[in-house]
Amino acid sequence: MLKRRLRTWMALVMTAILTGLTACSGNAGEPVNPNAVELKFMYWGSNDEKQAMEKMIQSFNASHPDIRVKGEHVPGDYTTKINTLMAANQLPDIAYLGDSLTMKWASEGRLLDLSSYYDEYPELKNKLKSSYLYSEPGKSIGNYTAMEVMQLFYNKELFTEAGVSVPPADPKKAWTWDEFLAIAKKLTKDQNGKHPGDSGFDPKNIAQYGFAFGNDRSSWGPLLASNGGALTDKTGKKYTLNSPESVEVFQKLQDLVFKEHVSPDLIQQQDMPSNTIRLQTRKVAMVVDGTWSLLDFSNNKQLQWSIGVLPKLKEPKTMIVAGATVIFQSTKHPKEALEFYLYHNNPEKVDLFKSGLWMPIEEKYYTDEQAIQSWTNNAAHPPEFQEAGIEYARDYAIKPSTSTLRNWPDIGSKLTPGLDLIWTNKKTPQQALDELEPIIQPLLQGVYPDE
Amino acid sequence: MKRQKSGMMRMERNWGLLFALPAILGLMIFTIGPITASFVFSLTDWTIGGQMTFIGLDNYRTILTEDSTFSQSMFVTTYYALGSVPLGLAAAFIIALLLNQKVKGLSVFRTVYYLPTIVPSIANTMLWLWMFNPDFGLLNSLLESVGLPGSKWIYDESTAIPSLIMMSTWGIGNTVIIFLAGLQSVPTHLYEAAEVDGGNRWHKFFHITIPSMTPTIFFNLVMSLISTFQAFNQAYVMTKGGPNNSTLFYVFYLWRTAFTETKIGYASALAWILFFVIMVLTVLIFSTSKKWVHYEGGERS
Repeated sequence: MLKRRLRTWMALVMTAILTGLTACSGNAGEPVNPNAVELKFMYWGSNDEKQAMEKMIQSFNASHPDIRVKGEHVPGDYTTKINTLMAANQLPDIAYLGDSLTMKWASEGRLLDLSSYYDEYPELKNKLKSSYLYSEPGKSIGNYTAMEVMQLFYNKELFTEAGVSVPPADPKKAWTWDEFLAIAKKLTKDQNGKHPGDSGFDPKNIAQYGFAFGNDRSSWGPLLASNGGALTDKTGKKYTLNSPESVEVFQKLQDLVFKEHVSPDLIQQQDMPSNTIRLQTRKVAMVVDGTWSLLDFSNNKQLQWSIGVLPKLKEPKTMIVAGATVIFQSTKHPKEALEFYLYHNNPEKVDLFKSGLWMPIEEKYYTDEQAIQSWTNNAAHPPEFQEAGIEYARDYAIKPSTSTLRNWPDIGSKLTPGLDLIWTNKKTPQQALDELEPIIQPLLQGVYPDE
Repeated sequence: MKRQKSGMMRMERNWGLLFALPAILGLMIFTIGPITASFVFSLTDWTIGGQMTFIGLDNYRTILTEDSTFSQSMFVTTYYALGSVPLGLAAAFIIALLLNQKVKGLSVFRTVYYLPTIVPSIANTMLWLWMFNPDFGLLNSLLESVGLPGSKWIYDESTAIPSLIMMSTWGIGNTVIIFLAGLQSVPTHLYEAAEVDGGNRWHKFFHITIPSMTPTIFFNLVMSLISTFQAFNQAYVMTKGGPNNSTLFYVFYLWRTAFTETKIGYASALAWILFFVIMVLTVLIFSTSKKWVHYEGGERS
């Protein structure tokens, strides 16, 4: 008797669980082609980016009835998430990936070698040369998702008020460091309106800073390249961050904060709002930021802003700061994934280019006047963008060491604490960079090929 | 008759096993499995995405003899534990004593002290991030208003850990509750006996309250030591281990090694070393406990 009742109960419970499960697996909404190949696409980004991505995925699915892409937006700690998926062998088919991890996994054979598909998909070959990522000579796993370079964003009104000229947009006319510093000083004011160098200037109560920069490679990387400095020599096996050219860059940046008083230190910056708000509230006159910020800047209607090129030390240079989109070797549907790959960064299909978040990687969008107009002729791209964006990215951009140096994840986590000593003014750049040598040198394992 | 009974018993046993099975399986799959796996990984050079080679105790050797980041993170964590465990216990004990008084609005106070424990730890951390702000944070504003110089708190190497120790006393609600429960179970007949013998407040406190509370203190000491050695959120949310590794908590270093540097093998070895360190500390405390922990009803069996 007891047994039977229990059995009945068990049966009921099991039925309930099973019904629950089937109910979950149903898909409401769009009609589903039962034979469609299903692909999983994982990406990061802001809410704006997520919406644009979802729109793109929908239009892709609508135009490709045989493929069904499911997007997964990961807003938080993306690297941890994808590392975990890799460790558990549960990777998506196609995903955004930070460039250093891309290179590592490419060299370990985890990513699809796109160069073996060049004959079938010639479009894979027409990108900007600097956007290709090679794991071995001639073997490319793809490109940066979009071209993104570092630029100088500024509040126009503050320049007019101070009566100084705005940052040049033409890379050939980039400010020298001294020109830049002189203007940054004129744009820096304490609470009594005095500038650095004036008698009675109070560096403890600065109301408006001329310039603000971050402590990561995107701020010092371009200047380092501009001065002919680098983290390592060409082979990637010898540490050179304590060479005179490299030290000079860090010295100049440290001086901006602690000697010239034209830039806030990192602690002050921790709590400053985003760059658009810093400019809008007149906290700062110029900031160094990446092209992706055009989206935020053009969304800010109260700010009169524009962009210029970064100051140069020896030659004008900027740096690419971008992630990649990769197809994993583990995918069961490489061709379908390639279809989506080609679609997802095509400016005709995705409005992230017109909104300012992305710059295309296809060469014609930098050389063909009509193609250039097709994505830049809008409010997100000020007239200065033709030079400070397109020309700068096309002719003056270098790859960052995150893309070129082997073993970057290890190097990066040792580099940051050492550089902290410079940003907090605990040590001179020469001392700090010398002390980093024995720490970084053993981690150097060479470079990835560049073609 | 006899056979039938044993049949019933067998059935009951089977059902019992069946119902316990989810818990047993959960323990096997989600706890024992990963623990075993991590031990195996700790003997390999596995990086995420790469090949796995068995390298014996090499990871342990590297950690203990060559890795200066390991010693830095061990130092940071020990420093933090030495500061926050005694401070936290003392503060919790005092608050529990106060909450054990008969004053008006007692339940309000009890709620107030427990509240931060309910708030998610990340939210607490964000809140303190704002309080620590050297430019317009609450703490420096308070100091300024009484004419004292401000501090850079977590943004300076020398004050970072002391600041985090101070912050740790924010989350002592749990400890307070346990102390409070302990205080309320101190037998009143002992106090009465002391009064009869002419003992004053202090006599009662030192000769009755403290000795009766030693088991509770012991429990809280062990628990808070274990949890401070696993501090992570502060570094993850507030400092990223900086400036210059001054807040590189052990678990944060472990996490970074595994998920930023992708070295799972090495990180597993780090995890086992942490396990070993905590175990040794706990054993040490247990072995001293015979000397100072008193259980009611005489000797501990």
